[in-house]
Amino acid sequence: MGDTVVEPALLKPTSEPTPGPPGNNGGSLLSVITEGVGELSVIDPEVAQKACQEVLEKVKLLRGGVAISSRGTPLELVNGDGVDSEIRCLDDPPAQIREEEDEMGASVAAGTTKGARRRRQNNSAKQSWLLRLFESKLFDISMAISYLYNSKEPGVQAYIGNRLFCFRNEDVDFYLPQLLNMYIHMDEDVGDAIKPYIVHRCRQSINFSLQCALLLGAYSSDMHISTQRHSRGTKLRKLILSDELKPAHRKRELPSLSPAPDTGLSPSKRTHQRSKSDATASISLSSNLKRTASNPKVENEDEPVRLAPEREFIKSLMAIGKRLATLPTKEQKTQRLISELSLLNHKLPARVWLPTAGFDHHVVRVPHTQAVVLNSKDKAPYLIYVEVLECENFDTTNVPARIPENRIRSTRSVENLPECGITHEQRAGSFSTVPNYDNDDEAWSVDDIGELQVELPEVHTNSCDNISQFSVDSITSQESKEPVFIAAGDIRRRLSEQLAHTPTAFKRDPEDPSAVALKEPWQEKVRRIREGSPYGHLPNWRLLSVIVKCGDDLRQELLAFQVLKQLQSIWEQERVPLWIKPYKILVISADSGMIEPVVNAVSIHQVKKQSQLSLLDYFLQEHGSYTTEAFLSAQRNFVQSCAGYCLVCYLLQVKDRHNGNILLDAEGHIIHIDFGFILSSSPRNLGFETSAFKLTTEFVDVMGGLDGDMFNYYKMLMLQGLIAARKHMDKVVQIVEIMQQGEAGESPGVWD
Amino acid sequence: MDSLTMAQVEKRGGLLRKSSASKKPLKEKVVLMYDEIFMTEDPSKCSPRFWEELFLMKVNLEYLEGKLESLDGEELMKIKDNINCLFQHCIQALGEEHPIRVVNALQTLCALIRGVHQKNKSTSGFDIINMLMGFDKAELCMKNLMESLDSLLCAEGSESLKSLCLKLLLCLVTVTDNISQNTILEYVMINSIFEAILQILSHPPSRREHGYDAVVLLALLVNYRKYESVNPYIVKLSIVDDEATLNGMGLVIAQALSEYNRQYKDKEEEHQSGFFSALTNMVGSMFIADAHEKISVQTNEAILLALYEAVHLNRNFITVLAQSHPEMGLVTTPVSPAPTTPATPLGTTPPSSDVISSVELPLDADVQTSNLLITFLKYSSIVMQDTKDEHRLHSGKLCLIILTCIAEDQYANAFLHDDNMNFRVNLHRMPMRHRKKAADKNLPCRPLVCAVLDLMVEFIVTHMMKEFPMDLYVRCIQVVHKLLCYQKKCRVRLHYTWRELWSALINLLKFLMSNETVLLAKHNIFTLALMIVNLFNMFITYGDTFLPTPSSYDELYYEIIRMHQSFDNLYSMVLRLSTNAGQWKEAASKVTHALVNIRAIINHFNPKIESYAAVNHISQLSEEQVLEVVRANYDTLTLKLQDGLDQYERYSEQHKEAAFFKELVRSISTNVRRNLAFHTLSQEVLLKEFSTIS
Repeated sequence: MGDTVVEPALLKPTSEPTPGPPGNNGGSLLSVITEGVGELSVIDPEVAQKACQEVLEKVKLLRGGVAISSRGTPLELVNGDGVDSEIRCLDDPPAQIREEEDEMGASVAAGTTKGARRRRQNNSAKQSWLLRLFESKLFDISMAISYLYNSKEPGVQAYIGNRLFCFRNEDVDFYLPQLLNMYIHMDEDVGDAIKPYIVHRCRQSINFSLQCALLLGAYSSDMHISTQRHSRGTKLRKLILSDELKPAHRKRELPSLSPAPDTGLSPSKRTHQRSKSDATASISLSSNLKRTASNPKVENEDEPVRLAPEREFIKSLMAIGKRLATLPTKEQKTQRLISELSLLNHKLPARVWLPTAGFDHHVVRVPHTQAVVLNSKDKAPYLIYVEVLECENFDTTNVPARIPENRIRSTRSVENLPECGITHEQRAGSFSTVPNYDNDDEAWSVDDIGELQVELPEVHTNSCDNISQFSVDSITSQESKEPVFIAAGDIRRRLSEQLAHTPTAFKRDPEDPSAVALKEPWQEKVRRIREGSPYGHLPNWRLLSVIVKCGDDLRQELLAFQVLKQLQSIWEQERVPLWIKPYKILVISADSGMIEPVVNAVSIHQVKKQSQLSLLDYFLQEHGSYTTEAFLSAQRNFVQSCAGYCLVCYLLQVKDRHNGNILLDAEGHIIHIDFGFILSSSPRNLGFETSAFKLTTEFVDVMGGLDGDMFNYYKMLMLQGLIAARKHMDKVVQIVEIMQQGEAGESPGVWD
Repeated sequence: MDSLTMAQVEKRGGLLRKSSASKKPLKEKVVLMYDEIFMTEDPSKCSPRFWEELFLMKVNLEYLEGKLESLDGEELMKIKDNINCLFQHCIQALGEEHPIRVVNALQTLCALIRGVHQKNKSTSGFDIINMLMGFDKAELCMKNLMESLDSLLCAEGSESLKSLCLKLLLCLVTVTDNISQNTILEYVMINSIFEAILQILSHPPSRREHGYDAVVLLALLVNYRKYESVNPYIVKLSIVDDEATLNGMGLVIAQALSEYNRQYKDKEEEHQSGFFSALTNMVGSMFIADAHEKISVQTNEAILLALYEAVHLNRNFITVLAQSHPEMGLVTTPVSPAPTTPATPLGTTPPSSDVISSVELPLDADVQTSNLLITFLKYSSIVMQDTKDEHRLHSGKLCLIILTCIAEDQYANAFLHDDNMNFRVNLHRMPMRHRKKAADKNLPCRPLVCAVLDLMVEFIVTHMMKEFPMDLYVRCIQVVHKLLCYQKKCRVRLHYTWRELWSALINLLKFLMSNETVLLAKHNIFTLALMIVNLFNMFITYGDTFLPTPSSYDELYYEIIRMHQSFDNLYSMVLRLSTNAGQWKEAASKVTHALVNIRAIINHFNPKIESYAAVNHISQLSEEQVLEVVRANYDTLTLKLQDGLDQYERYSEQHKEAAFFKELVRSISTNVRRNLAFHTLSQEVLLKEFSTIS
């Protein structure tokens, strides 16, 4: 445990040069970050200066010689501005960062840059090891976070705070929970170091703002209300939510400039009336969402608080979850869910998005009939599918116009039906010759007002009152035509063949409504929903899914996600073919959140209940016999994922490993879900579970038994994986360790 | 004693004036003023503030109406100028600020319109326009009236005022039995109040108060000269796409229908818990039928017509059918006290809206999330139970027509067949001798189309009676056929117990044959027989596209073979009639041709089954054994492909149904008018309350 943090004593004292970077001034900073003056005041120059002096004093005491010579420079520079060390990464940025920083740095006064470089060259010989480390290519975000957390030097912290700007957004995003937790729970210096970066990013991205606001709320929630630190997190949260951080210089594109044609944008004519929907009664969407939902025009005139629609959207999803929890049966929950979502649909499209998605988009519709309630005893988590339209920029692209629900008629789903092994021609030639009265064009695409007014002019007015004209015609006409004969056996055979062709779907079970929905292959589902959606024809249409959890603390899940993600990259780096599937988590508050569902996967519990087979037999049924390629690759996937998750379970001490918490995907991978009990926490305080990880004989059977090659491969993978994890353990431990801040009773567990 | 009668006399106004002239001084002031209007002289001549004062007086509807009624056409013509004046001043008063004047003006208008009409039934609509407004001013007058009503309805004003506006409009629309003969409505067409109606429906508080009247008014207006001219209300209704409005309309209809369902259920339970349950055990089914009639609640044709018009005219409304309304069951009592009356006759009584249902509904678990379609199906199941009286026959027919429209709609079919939208639908089933009442609680949760099919099957098996409702049967079979066409087209494999449908259809055929002579006197039974046979043909030749399992296809054959006697009899009957040169020759021969596959199946399998029995020495084969024979002998059976089985004629109102709808609208008009009389008067209670506030 002690050796986890790489912080050699040797390096520690050398941290002194950080506060005193070679000269630059506050003006250059202003031009680097095109922000307002807001965050400049965040770091008090006096405090920073004082901190630097303290560091220098210390250093002087320790290593007089080296420090004394460097004393002059930092001191005279520090007085410029507290955050000026920021500029340093512009002077000498790591190669990959240089490019993106160039445009920012272009405005930096050339003189200062040159001067700074010259001065630093003078000092280079006396430069500290730490600075060299920080400036080396090896210095990555993981190390930055580690130093930020472990260093007690305000200068170092401030330096790293500035250095954050140089990392790629995605890299820093990964550590956002750690950063925010440090911001909330650690001392002021750390907070001051982090804040400018957070503020800067919030201005750039609305999604980042949302995530920050949510995490700040969630991580502050356990604290005592009165503490000062608490108010720091809350203050930042308020600042973000107050919308003061919206980009002032950016204006929304005019509708004419936006890529209108393919998204079908048109300012909605129905404006105020839609806001009067009945749905308001049950789903308390604020006027903000309503306004954005139906009327982009109004939105442009007086921009609402930009996070408001999204927060309302999230709030209504949570409210649904709460209401569902009050219903006694799954069936009622499902029906209620569908009806609630259908009302939610009235508010869409809106300027809302799913934070778990990896691209910019607007939510346009929730296919309410596809939603399912998941299995849970007392709470009501549910899975919804969400139709979105991908867009270039969430902020600037206009919200798509609403398309009425019944517009799907024009998509003519019949045409897209898979020809189940038979065409009409095959059935009988005579079919194609019959004029199709129930013509799709005629029947479905009647959009003319004139035609709608009364029914279509009757063609067969002379037909006898009650009988289909065509049935009569066709039968009488048969007398003159050559009769067509078909074999009854063929009909029967086709029926059984077509049913055999359909992939093994699960049976509908009112007690387990999610099984069927999750079993359906994702691509199939996307196709089906796209066909049934009025937005399905748009090229930028995408389907997303999300699990809404209400009443569950997902902060642990988020931690587990981070650890899994880290392990995954470690194993990738070390080329150990272990397979795990971290799934994205959105913490909304201390007791609610969203989870990105694993697609094409059902729980082993559901597999066994539905198929009534052993796992091995199920593999054989789904993938084919032992020697087939499909089975072998499914088996390999199973082994690799099994080994990966066994290690995860071992390292994270994952408990509560019943079959309902282990998924099996269509390719044979297993995926563990529900990391509610990890490290030292256990369900109902049962303490440690005796087994380090779950490996049942059934699993071993799938691997080919204890003596099989695949089982040996499994053991080997475990060993390699463990060694790799041990090698990079600091990266993993760090994640957990930082999150301990503010959580009293949580111990990181055993890391051996 | 004396004073009491005096008071009564005074109350009744001048009705008794002639008989007791001595009591003249006791007349109300308003009555005196009315009398002045009924003179030929201009009442404002001697008192210039006459009109201003008039609308400050409480209206005496009875007197005014009675007075108008008592005058014949000629007498009325004499005072035409004064009536015109009164009418105009009424319209002027609608613009007044003081609500009391507005209220009085509205009521006076009601009385005027009704009074003039009641007397002048024989005269044409143009005379009435002349009488009320004068030809020259009519257009402007009505424009002003409609504009005033429109702004009153849309304003943020008093709810009782709005209610009165709607009553006036309903009064105007229903003064004639035949709505299309009501010439004044021409002005209502020109000066549309459609938008005002929509606004009432889209706005929840006003919808709660006036939704019912608004929907009924709309349904009636749509039916004004529907087939002769371009009715702007039809055009406008067909293009509404605002979800809030459509939903509001759906909610009003759903509430009215579910209120009916609830009342029926209450009555039914009352009867069951009473002595009847004991009696019915002893007495035969005849008695049950009687008892059943007694518990019938009068149907609500107006709201059903509104549903029909919405479904038929507006394609967007289809989405509302499936729209669930969670708040219907769960929202707590709405803030506004809805003016509800306990008795619910036909017509304009708002079916005690949210207040009652929100209290009652949560108790019934399966109502919690309902939708309009489910409510409608339940309603239909009640209405269609008994089609003996004319109203119910109308309602039953309209239900089937609505179902026909739904079954033709692509979107409706999509959600009817949606595997993810499962519901338990408790249909009402007629208690019958030979079957027990199904346990409601064990109903499976299924796609909605199953409930529709159940309803059709239920209808088929319960209406084989002497007064054979041929028209309803044809519609019923058409609905099933249209659903099957969708399933075939979209390859929907519905897990439905098709066997119930098959045996119901075969029983119906049996009934047709056993009552051949009686039925043939009235109906062409061959069209129905042909439709039934073609349904079987659809299963036989296209079963592979929509049957859920191979064994269901086997079961189809089993059922046909088991009931082969019926088909044999049908064949010999149609053969007999098609070889005769009678009037049914052509119709019967069509059935002969349609039967070719069924006969092929019977002729193919029966000998095989017999020989199987002979070989194995079994006298009575079990179902499993027959199925085994069927499965083994498919390959040697050849079927003839009949085309056109999966095509149908779309529903069309224009020609075939026009007479029915005319009749229906007439009956609705009468009912609305009848109930309006009571209500316009009872409105005074509200107005009293109103006058104390202001």
